[in-house]
Amino acid sequence: MNPARRTRLEREYALLGAILIAPTVLIFCAVIVYPLVSAIYLSLFQVFTPTLEGSWVGLSNYRELLGKEEFWTSLLNNIIWTVGTLSLQIIFGVAMALILHQNMWFRSLARSLILFPYFVSTVVAVLVWKWLFNDLYGIMNHLLIVSGLTDFPIDYLGTMPNAMISVILVGAWKYFPFVVIAVLARLQTIPDALYEAARIDGAGPISRFFDVTVPQLREVLVVIIMLRAIWDFKEFDMIYLLTGGGPITSTQTLPLLVYKEAFKLNQMGMASTYAVAMMAIMLVFMILYIRRTRSEEDT
Amino acid sequence: MTHAYWNRNGLTRRGALAGLAATTALTALPRTARAQDVTLRWWSPQSAPLQVEAYNHQIATFQEANPGIKVVFETTSDEGYAAQLAAAFSSGEVPDVVTHLPSFSIHTYYASGLVEPMNDVIEAVGADDFYDGANDVYKAADGNFVATGIGNVAANMLWLRTDLMEEAGIDKQPTTWDELRAACQAMQKNGIYGAPLPYGRNSMTTRIFVGVMHQAGAQVFTPDLEVAIDSQETRDALEWYKSMRELCPPGATNYSWGEAITAFVSGATATGIYTGRVLGNVVAQNPPIADHITCKVYPTISPDVKPWTFNAFPSVFIPAQSRHIEEAKKFAIHLFEPEGMIKQLHAAPGHLLPVLKSINANPIYQDNPIIKKYPTEVDRMAAAAADGHNLGYETKAHRSNDRAGDVEGTLAISDMVQRVVLNDEDPNVVVGETAKIIEDVMKG
Repeated sequence: MNPARRTRLEREYALLGAILIAPTVLIFCAVIVYPLVSAIYLSLFQVFTPTLEGSWVGLSNYRELLGKEEFWTSLLNNIIWTVGTLSLQIIFGVAMALILHQNMWFRSLARSLILFPYFVSTVVAVLVWKWLFNDLYGIMNHLLIVSGLTDFPIDYLGTMPNAMISVILVGAWKYFPFVVIAVLARLQTIPDALYEAARIDGAGPISRFFDVTVPQLREVLVVIIMLRAIWDFKEFDMIYLLTGGGPITSTQTLPLLVYKEAFKLNQMGMASTYAVAMMAIMLVFMILYIRRTRSEEDT
Repeated sequence: MTHAYWNRNGLTRRGALAGLAATTALTALPRTARAQDVTLRWWSPQSAPLQVEAYNHQIATFQEANPGIKVVFETTSDEGYAAQLAAAFSSGEVPDVVTHLPSFSIHTYYASGLVEPMNDVIEAVGADDFYDGANDVYKAADGNFVATGIGNVAANMLWLRTDLMEEAGIDKQPTTWDELRAACQAMQKNGIYGAPLPYGRNSMTTRIFVGVMHQAGAQVFTPDLEVAIDSQETRDALEWYKSMRELCPPGATNYSWGEAITAFVSGATATGIYTGRVLGNVVAQNPPIADHITCKVYPTISPDVKPWTFNAFPSVFIPAQSRHIEEAKKFAIHLFEPEGMIKQLHAAPGHLLPVLKSINANPIYQDNPIIKKYPTEVDRMAAAAADGHNLGYETKAHRSNDRAGDVEGTLAISDMVQRVVLNDEDPNVVVGETAKIIEDVMKG
């Protein structure tokens, strides 16, 4: 083929390729690159939120962040919340998926109902839980007092460690159905032959679970843990509505700190700095997730 | 294939394009017509169902008198308005009229050029009709009024159950903290707690505790707005507030306005701390105690210290970015029309108190079952609110504080309360650190 003609054809293909990919690139720039660059850019300024007027401060927001106790406390709270709620989501989620995988009455109904916490709006869920936790009228305290387990109502959301435990439990209740769906889907694809072989080899239910089920679930659990870790790490509405970050800053996670800086203290620059720091931390999870999914694709 | 499809349906590309163009033109026509209409967005955190009903009446009468102007009411909240307004201001999508926000929050916005002066609205309503000094709190350093009052509130009235007092052998309404604590101790029995003081991390704790500080003789700022919170009086206030914790329900550590009023109205506490909204709620929700409640100004550390009432000075203001300033001002003036204003005040009788003398003197306003049933309480609240102050207006000698809204936003004061009361931290250290946080906010 004539090299000059081939070059022209290649140029045309390249142009066509650029035209075809342009909408994707533009959308990507508008929804990913622009907010990302804006956040990093804003983090270098001191900005008054209502007017968005500000002055250049360079890296001093980052210096302030590293020296600020509130940042480290919030990061620690964030880690405690993420690890706590994620662990419970996995435990409850896998357990519930195993139950729903059995032949039982009303299995279809149970599988539908189990999704309820995940589908219900966070605001509604929080209102319901706040009533359950209420010191004067809540059913939780009422049952504890009636059963004689305690003489006085328990303060679930206003003191530590109760507040963190309550937030973690409500989070686990709200999000464990996601684990159920994913695990249940995987359970249905495990060949029965594996269990039959294990039974023939004399494996009991516990051995079958650890030697057959768990290895089969490992891949899907890794993906669930990565995704839920990312989503839980940036959880805002549920924690904010339940405790507002209190008592003091005991349940204040990084997203709540970002909100406080941006909209209560009107410091959009500093809020962006926290957001960029959060993003850097989440990047670790994302890299792990991408590596994992790539390795799955390779295999 | 495509060609066949067009032909099969009797359509051609040209025909379809012509149709599309015609549809677009038709869609644009009503838009042009509608462009002459004005829609005003009205924000308020006061949104109990009866209040919204009263607002809808005011909107309907305004729209009837002003064809072409439509008003849409949107709810904000006491805890959320700052964030919502910050987002609205930064995006330029502002409401046209905002009502019932505390006076000190508006000074912050005005200082940044975000609020329209309301001098002409005050003149149109009738400056002489406002109670003396009612608009002083809205006066900015440049002499302009950043807002005007739509009502008065006495946010920290002490509510008492007279039947429980009688049962406990208490014959005198408490006027000092020691008397109040003793009364609460005597009445705390049979599942009823002494008081519903807020210890949550929120604006209610901040506002109530600013009141408690003043009731101890402390202040957050000097009249020249130097930070003055680090004082013995503040420590005294913290010590007393901490001593009251055992007399409050366990969940008071997370209480805000809703929980505090519910605790008293439902009969779970023997005393309450709230505005006059208590009256309407008790009558509607717990009638058996309706004949056994009264209120007074909150006690102080000693008879030598004057009571201090927190009046948020609920306001009306207009964001400067509004695209319909003139129409918004017209609507703001309309809000003071006697019929609508009285309906609004009657929607929460005793909660919002009139700022216009003519409204208070109006027989229709006085002809309300709750106002008639509790004349002493309404008079006490009116007197307390008229002498009221807030974080941006601690005394009449204080300069206008355009950073008070930011100080409340830091939650530094409610954090201070929580650290001392819940965490048992050393008040000396905590108060010093709180002073530093507030100083940083004041420096910007």
